[in-house]
This record gives sequence, C-alpha cells and structure tokens, in this order.
Amino acid sequence: MADGLSIDKVYHPYVDALEKELEYRSIYPEAQSRSANPAQIHKLSLGTSFSDHWFGEFYLVGEKDRRGNFELEAYELELKWQLSEQGEYFADWGLLFEYENETEADIEEISVGILSEKEWGRWSGTANLHFIQEWGDDIDDEFETAFAWQSRYRYSQALEPGFEFYTGQTATGLGPLVQGAINLGIRRNLHWEAGLIFGLDNKSPDQTFRFLLEYEF
Amino acid sequence: MNPSRVLFISLIGFCSVYCITAFAASQEFELRIREHLFYPSNLEVPANQKIRLVIINEDATPEEFESYELNREKVIPGNSRTVIFIGPLSPGEYVFFGEFYPRTAQGKIIAR
Repeated sequence: MADGLSIDKVYHPYVDALEKELEYRSIYPEAQSRSANPAQIHKLSLGTSFSDHWFGEFYLVGEKDRRGNFELEAYELELKWQLSEQGEYFADWGLLFEYENETEADIEEISVGILSEKEWGRWSGTANLHFIQEWGDDIDDEFETAFAWQSRYRYSQALEPGFEFYTGQTATGLGPLVQGAINLGIRRNLHWEAGLIFGLDNKSPDQTFRFLLEYEF
Repeated sequence: MNPSRVLFISLIGFCSVYCITAFAASQEFELRIREHLFYPSNLEVPANQKIRLVIINEDATPEEFESYELNREKVIPGNSRTVIFIGPLSPGEYVFFGEFYPRTAQGKIIAR
C-alpha cells in the first residue's frame, strides 16, 4: 500500500518454469497511538511463470480498519526477473517490478526491487532493496526506499526457522520466522510462512504478525 | 542523503558485484534424462568445489531436477538441456529426483 506498512514479505530471486501459484498473505500490525494503521491487511494473488526467468503475479489487497470495516484497497501487478542461475555467482540476483493502484483514492505507486540471495551451507540469506515512487492527487509525490533481510536455516523441507528484518518509511522491525512446505503430489506444494516482527523504533508497531500460504501447482 | 544518490550508489554497487562474479569457472559434469531415468543415477563429483552440472533431457516431456539437500530445482523442457550450479559440497551423498516422474527418476550426487 502507498505509505503502507514496510513489513510484508521477503522475495527470493528465483523463478520456477511451468509453475502457477495461488497465494494468500495477511499482516496484523498492533495498534499505534501515533497513526491510524489498519488492523489487518490481506493479499490474494494468482501468479504464473512465463519462462524460467520471468514470473508475473496479480494481487487484490484488502484492509480491515480498527472499527472492523473491510474494504478492497488496491490491486497490484508484479513482474519478477531472475537474472542469474542459482549458485552461478557469488550471490544470486533478480529484479522485482511492481505497480499498485489504490481503488478508493487517486494514489499510484511503482517500484523496482533488487533481490539477492546467498547460501552458507544450510543457511540462506536473502536481501531485498526496493526503490519506490508514489504519485497521485491524494498523496504527496515522493520517492522512498525500503529494505528487507531474511536468514533461514534449512533444517528440513517441512520446517525452516529463521529471522527477518524490515525497514522503510513506516516501520523498522526484527523478529523470528518459521516456514515450510508440504508436498501434495506431483508438482503440487503448499508453502507457508509465519513471522512475528517486533518494532525497533517509535514509528513502528510494537508487534506485527504476518502469515503466508502459497499453493504451487 | 538525496534519494537519487542512494539509487545511483546502489545500482553501481549492484552492477559491480554482478560483473565481478560473472566469470567464475567451475568443473563440468553431465547428467542425462532418458525414459524418465537419470543417467548416471549415481554421479561422483569432487567435494569442496563448485560444479557446473549440464542436464540433458532426451525425453519429449519436461522434467524437473529437484533436491532439497542441494537446494536446487530446475525444469528442463523436453528435448533440451540446462545448466545448474551446485557446491562447494561437503563430502557426502545428496539425493535428487525428477518431480514429474518421482517414482523412476531418482539419483544421488556423491561428493568425495
């Protein structure tokens, strides 16, 4: 969301050819006295790979405010470009292009994200650096950046613990993450992530819970 | 700092790392997929070295090389080839399978 919560998801720089995915993710930031942040953010998306280097995804974004009203707030388009083969260079690289249009206000946003990942044995580290431009009649035109980091230990396919760090215009936070995947048959997987991010400054919610469920087929 | 300067410095850093690491050499090995089987099914590679693995799919149907132990998954369309990079691996065995035909397409990489 434009000027929305910086805590969302860490993107990996990989594309799996011939894959489609249905994704649901939700974010529950704790109430803040200094801003009217939403109680819940829900994102539902459908994505498909176009080749072994390009993946596109369409999102619907809804928000529930502190009074319990739920509204469709925006739609988003994402395009991911895998730049290098996994393990080919010192680190793996990708780019993420995003466009967002709010439905209830004249606010648009475009962003480019640099995605990078590096393995150290069973540990993986993933970094996302986003450059974001917002514009529209209902927002001051502005340029902003956001950064996210995820470290995870590949203990087993079903369970990978780790931690995440997010920083951006509206929040800076750090916290634990667990994720895993369940095989449901030939090229059918259910991937899940759950994280609890603790705010590190006054502008951030004290705690933000995030959850993701992704069906890959 | 000015946002455009942040963007400029970040892009320069990104391009530098990308270019510096773009010519890393590695030893090459070959794996073939035929009638939904991997040949060889046991592939020995040197430990502690980066490996360039060429996978040739001789079948008309796609297959996906997948290994949680190696942290790799890659689709190889029918009658085509691809390259994956693995390692450096500690000595040991690393199982892999074909996700389209997991009952038959199985193997392991043995790092010595």
